[in-house]
Amino acid sequence: MSVSVVSVEKRFGDVVALAGVTLEAREGELLVVVGPSGCGKSTLLRCVAGLETVDAGTVRIRGRDVTGIRPAARNVSMVFQSYALFPHLTVGANVGFGLVVRETPKEEVRRRVAAAVELIGIGHLVDRRPYQLSGGERQRVALARALVREPDAYLLDEPLSNLDAGTRVEMRTELRRLHREVGATMIHVTHDQVEALTLADRVAVMHAGAVRQVGTPDEVYGRPADRTVAAFLGTPRMNFLTVGDARPFCAVPDGAEAGVRPEHVRLDGEVPARVDLVEVAGGDAYVHLSGGLVARVAADVRPVEGEDVGLGIRREDVHLFDLETGRRVEP
Amino acid sequence: MPRVRAGDRRFGGFRQPVAIAFGLLFLLPLWFLVAGSFREPGTVPPRTPELFPRPVSTESYGDAFALVDLGRYLLNSLAVAALTVPPAVLVASWAGFALLLLAGRARLVLLAVSFAALMIPVTALLVPRFTLYRWLGLTDTWVPLVAPALLGLSPFYVLLFYWSFRRLPPELFEAARLEDARPFVMWRRLAMPLVRPVTVAVALLAFIASWGNFLDPLVYLFDPDLYTLPLGLRSLAVLDRTNYPVLLAAAVAATAPVVLAFAVAQRFFLHEDRGAGWLGR
Amino acid sequence: MSERRQLALMLAPYLVGLTALVLVPALVTFGLALTEYDLVRSPVFVGLDNFRELVRDDVFRRAVSNSLVFAAIAVPLRLGAALGLALLLHRRIPGVGGYRSATVLPTVVPDIAYGLLWLWLLNPLYGPINTLLGWGGAANFTWIGYPLPQWLTHSNDARAAIVILSLFTIGEGFVVLLVTRQGLPAELYDLAALEDVTAWSLFRRITLPLMAPVLLLLLARDTIFSLQATLVPALVVTEGGPPLYSTTYVPLFVYRNAFEYLRYGYASAATLLMLILTAAIVLVQLALLRRYRLGNG
Repeated sequence: MSVSVVSVEKRFGDVVALAGVTLEAREGELLVVVGPSGCGKSTLLRCVAGLETVDAGTVRIRGRDVTGIRPAARNVSMVFQSYALFPHLTVGANVGFGLVVRETPKEEVRRRVAAAVELIGIGHLVDRRPYQLSGGERQRVALARALVREPDAYLLDEPLSNLDAGTRVEMRTELRRLHREVGATMIHVTHDQVEALTLADRVAVMHAGAVRQVGTPDEVYGRPADRTVAAFLGTPRMNFLTVGDARPFCAVPDGAEAGVRPEHVRLDGEVPARVDLVEVAGGDAYVHLSGGLVARVAADVRPVEGEDVGLGIRREDVHLFDLETGRRVEP
Repeated sequence: MPRVRAGDRRFGGFRQPVAIAFGLLFLLPLWFLVAGSFREPGTVPPRTPELFPRPVSTESYGDAFALVDLGRYLLNSLAVAALTVPPAVLVASWAGFALLLLAGRARLVLLAVSFAALMIPVTALLVPRFTLYRWLGLTDTWVPLVAPALLGLSPFYVLLFYWSFRRLPPELFEAARLEDARPFVMWRRLAMPLVRPVTVAVALLAFIASWGNFLDPLVYLFDPDLYTLPLGLRSLAVLDRTNYPVLLAAAVAATAPVVLAFAVAQRFFLHEDRGAGWLGR
Repeated sequence: MSERRQLALMLAPYLVGLTALVLVPALVTFGLALTEYDLVRSPVFVGLDNFRELVRDDVFRRAVSNSLVFAAIAVPLRLGAALGLALLLHRRIPGVGGYRSATVLPTVVPDIAYGLLWLWLLNPLYGPINTLLGWGGAANFTWIGYPLPQWLTHSNDARAAIVILSLFTIGEGFVVLLVTRQGLPAELYDLAALEDVTAWSLFRRITLPLMAPVLLLLLARDTIFSLQATLVPALVVTEGGPPLYSTTYVPLFVYRNAFEYLRYGYASAATLLMLILTAAIVLVQLALLRRYRLGNG
């Protein structure tokens, strides 16, 4: 285990940001912490970095207890949402900043900066100033700066959120490639669930200051541990049915509600419904049905608005959640 | 939410005592101002440092108001301020807003001229302005004191308003334009309500400038009935340069209104914490 | 009323004011400088005689050197104090509103009241400053044996006094630097915390370069201010003396020549020379420190 927090609590005045969080990022893995705004994910990251002090609990990095240690001594690098590049320094000077401040010999600085810059692919930008770069390029500089120090862990605070959609997808792939090459422990925080599912080795879903589930993307998507996780992951959102709504499809025990992902709502079944609205998004079509369900089908086989269809749901595609606690219930 | 940066725990400790020390240092002259005004007039001052006057007496205040017509001067200063400050704020905000709506080249020219005018110190314009007013026969009136309100009192206030208006979301004004709103309406209903702290700051600064204006009254006013407070202070100093308690009492009377205005208005802009950095744009 | 008309109306007062109160007087200065004029008889054209006389005028040369020395000493001290206090007070510590107000307060006080106050504070015999300095020492000597400064009667002490006076009125620069510092992105300081930056390094590598453009602007403005605004203290506190014109600065020189000796032409010529000198100094400053201005402003 590489980076772990145990029972960490953090309060800002009356607001509880972290309510006893225990989480571990394994050595060399890319852990993505995902959740809606205000769930505490950024605060958690900052606590790991040491930029916030914890009110209770411990933080360990590579086995060392760093809870009371100042940020610079924790040997972590951080990449910020706003890139945090020094406007008055060139790209090369920005990347080498941490080394220069630690009074590393000039030759070594030059060597390590060159290596980092090559790896990221911004060698040709070394003498430019930040204001001359695009968003994606700036983010690469921030990454290079984090790389050059070869820290024990990389902390990324919503690094892609400021980029436009196209660049974001591009940078996602870049990050994945980088992680594979460097092989270091990375904790990546984001509010974008698609980003989380595509990037991560493992995903930690947070909500209201607590971790709701940790697992591989398949696990958290395919077997959500509670209703909030199920509702947060997936586009369009999971369909939730009460006992009554679900009766035509399957039996739902009392005190529970059923969840079905749109891609599991089949239009070749027996339960009658009418198509209210069809949204086409590239290769997919989202079919809004009377009764409130939403189905996802391939765009080239989509129905027409007003058409009558028959719905079907397989028993094994139904998730059950306790109505009171929201936790997953096994049938 | 206020956040403590982990880094500055190192010297966070001595920020407070140093702040206290400097706070006291800056308040010290003002303390002596007030303390000195409560001493009996005409007595020999003590040879040892004295923080509190003994005995305490308000006689100096009485003398100050009796030796020269300080009461009248106070009212005069108020009148001049009343005539100067509101128009100045108005003109500055109009000009600042108009700058926003102006087309590219005209705006650049006007900005450059304003900036250049800002760099010219008032003392350099004193002599030519005086000759101009003399030719117009307007010396020994309040006109030279009030006229700068036409400038918004200073290009600085115009630029301040312009800069504040520029930070408002442009969509606001575009939406208004689509509703066929004219400049004055946009200024009154959209722009001004959104920049209240700036308006307060400009009003305060204009008041301070008008109230404390010493050079213009000195140069333009000869009739004692028209004198403003700073001139009254000067008259007292000319009368008896060494009667410190009386001089200080008059100084306190002159300073109190501005300090009061400052105390009331500063709440609007001196209590900010940090901005939101680049994300808050 | 059409939009263009309204726009023109909004700008009108300001434009009129700028023209009448700044542009026209500026032009008039040029004209006056070439005349001998006492506002009673009509002006007499004297060409460049005023300038020739100024160059030979011992008092004027003294005034220019006084002003330059004052600016050279006071400006760095004032800016340094404003910067230091802004960095000290930009974070919210208990009572910070009070400290900030205290820093700004002396600037708020009317010039003349401020001058009279210092007249009292600097009195060599009874003023609080000397009574404090002389406490514990023999008559007219401080505790450690130095003679007490005779503020208003010795030339160098008087000059020092004017500098000290100017150190308290840093309110404007302080507020500007305070707001600038608060506007700096917090992420950069987070980064510094992660990179093991010492306090001094933090200041030198991050805070100072980021604040440099504003500091530069303030430098220019304060230089102009210091070269021209010593009028009230010199007039009221030291009265241009002590004898030998040690605190006669150029503004006082201009004031006296215009309003006491009634030589408006001569005074205008002096103003013109001073403006040229000021502009030259500011341009030199901007050129020397050009590399601190950010590429994109």
